[in-house]
Amino acid sequence: MAYGAAAAHDEHEHHPTGWKRWVYSTNHKDIGTMYIVLSMIAALVGGLMSWYIRLELADPGLQFIHDTQFYNVLVTAHGFIMVFFVVMPAMIGGFGNWFVPLMIGAPDMAFPRMNNISFWLTAAGFVLLILSALVGDGPGTGWTVYPPLSSIAYHPGPSVDFGILALHVAGAGSILGAINFIVTIFNMRAPGMTMHRMPLFVWSILVTAFLLLLALPVLAGALTMLLTDRNFGTHFYEVAGGGDPLLWQHLFWFFGHPEVYIIILPAFGIISQIVSTFSKKPIFGYLGMAYAMMAIGVVGFVVWAHHMFTTGIGVNTRAYFTVATLIIAVPTGIKIFSWLATMWGGSIDFKAPMLYAMGFIWLFVLGGVTGVVLANAGIDLSFHDTYYVVAHFHYVMAIAAIFAMFGAWYYWIGKMSGRQYPEGLAKLQFWVFFVGVNVLFFPQHFLGLAGMPRRIPDYPDVYAGWNMVSSIGAAITMVGTLMFFYVVFHTLMAGKKAAANPWGAGATTLEWTVPSPAPFHTHEEMPVIGGGGHAHGGHGQVKPAE
Amino acid sequence: MSSRRRNLNALVLSGVAAAMLGVSFWSPTLYRLFCQGTGYEGTPKTENVVHSTQTSAAQVTVRFDANVNSALPWRFQPAQREVHLRLGEETLIHYTAANLSDQPITGTATFNVVPDKAGVYFSKLECFCFTEQTLAPGQEVSMPVVFYVDPGLAEDPTTRDVSTITLSYTFYRPDIEPKQPDNTAAIAGTRAVQAGG
Repeated sequence: MAYGAAAAHDEHEHHPTGWKRWVYSTNHKDIGTMYIVLSMIAALVGGLMSWYIRLELADPGLQFIHDTQFYNVLVTAHGFIMVFFVVMPAMIGGFGNWFVPLMIGAPDMAFPRMNNISFWLTAAGFVLLILSALVGDGPGTGWTVYPPLSSIAYHPGPSVDFGILALHVAGAGSILGAINFIVTIFNMRAPGMTMHRMPLFVWSILVTAFLLLLALPVLAGALTMLLTDRNFGTHFYEVAGGGDPLLWQHLFWFFGHPEVYIIILPAFGIISQIVSTFSKKPIFGYLGMAYAMMAIGVVGFVVWAHHMFTTGIGVNTRAYFTVATLIIAVPTGIKIFSWLATMWGGSIDFKAPMLYAMGFIWLFVLGGVTGVVLANAGIDLSFHDTYYVVAHFHYVMAIAAIFAMFGAWYYWIGKMSGRQYPEGLAKLQFWVFFVGVNVLFFPQHFLGLAGMPRRIPDYPDVYAGWNMVSSIGAAITMVGTLMFFYVVFHTLMAGKKAAANPWGAGATTLEWTVPSPAPFHTHEEMPVIGGGGHAHGGHGQVKPAE
Repeated sequence: MSSRRRNLNALVLSGVAAAMLGVSFWSPTLYRLFCQGTGYEGTPKTENVVHSTQTSAAQVTVRFDANVNSALPWRFQPAQREVHLRLGEETLIHYTAANLSDQPITGTATFNVVPDKAGVYFSKLECFCFTEQTLAPGQEVSMPVVFYVDPGLAEDPTTRDVSTITLSYTFYRPDIEPKQPDNTAAIAGTRAVQAGG
């Protein structure tokens, strides 16, 4: 991004230049930028895979993909890439790195070198994952990697091992990043920036970091056991050797359910910042919003078996997991209604980030409603592994997360690059993308209700109509995505210079008190928040966050 | 904001991550203990089982299933396909096993019942599967199982509909050696799993 200008601001600073500036970087802004670039590249790869899948699914029969294992590989790689190398790097590594230190008045992350290794581990994980799809038959296991399908008997090549190592490496990077965020937020807040004054985006990253810290080691352990099962003759998941494949499902979903909150919690934080800024009001029910995220994080650890309703678990167990899952609707509802209450009576400015925030709320509510449906074990017995589930999780976490990322990009690009995006084009991009994803995913509810199974490249003619509609939606979404990349290009090449605070009175958090683009080093003198202090940059008193 | 406190926090958080990793490796053992304690996943009762004191008039059919891992050159089958018994009635049945190879081989069996929810009411008093079995070349033996089905099966509203229970065994070689000798931690974990099934 346009860092030449940023570097010129502080020529007195000594930092590496050229490729060393990036490869050796210990600067939270540069590392954040690298995460965002990695996420954009990965999004193109993962997006192309999904469009190829929709191309195949547009008509019944096999037109483009005749090797069904290849179809499975596409589905698997699409899931892994989008979860681990698009959403997590952009929201946590990218925007988290950029704006957590800026928002709490810290000069950088607590452990800048660890920050560097976190990024490069993630990048290495991405390369390993791509390799896994290119060697042998590829991993056709789905992102859930259930044994016995993922065992050596059914995936004999090295591709699943590559995939396991990819997740190990990326997971290690994420755990280090999580430790870094927690220590930064606990120990490096500026004077006056108490926990209860932190912007909600910082809160969301804090809760997410704790989820990463508790969930990812479990995935690492489960994957290690799978690796030894495959290569060293152990039998953790093999019935014939005294193991149990269901153990994998329990371990995987003990990680996997918190993982979906790891994806969506930073989105909550981003949406809170945007809604507050463009409604020109502090967020409604700040404390409730912060503690609702914490509640979602805690409850997220005790609902995992709602992914396993069809595995034969007892009816009492199913009743518990149904109820526990439904309880999540309470803190989630607190968040939705608080966003609406923030907008209520506000002088709303419908800029592109706000459009994306409102689009997020629409998608998240719709996906949440189908989530309440699926939480019921009795109904889930019918809907399990149908397109209803595909529609549900794409609405509630996949596309919703992408909307939050687009919103965050438009919201903060002026601060990051020093150049403002073209407003008209951005709004057009929003509407194309919004129409595209809804045409893409809404009909999948109908397909699921009619019984169309997931992860199958072919289907009976009876499902043809809505599949065609869905694939047309994918094409519209593709246009919207390409428009976004054009907007990125246009902004960086020809965007207008951004003011320190382009959003006016609604933008009260600390990142708007530093110049745009944010200089290489910020908050070297700590800003004092609250009691009459003045923030760095002399922009006047900084109000308590939000 | 001393760097000492930062380092301490980072150390504590690393400890948390390491502890979660440790628990995940311990989970096969925890999982086995949980299943044995609660009968989840069709795990029959084998520990602290007492002889049944009461029988009820209600009848249940128990069917028998046998599987052998392909690495074990044994023939293994039940002597009877199914038995009808009253709830609480102690029953003796047999499986037969034969070593088809020309060398002595040790095998051990994992077991469960279907439907899963009946596991908590299926109690085994004696079973060949509690210990490892060694068969000489060509030897054929009869392997007894003594069990009863708890009368609670008919009283529990979630299992009242169960009229047939299938008991299944899978024999495997517990002595399959891993390819890499330096993998001791994982092997120890495996042993723990295999010991209980």
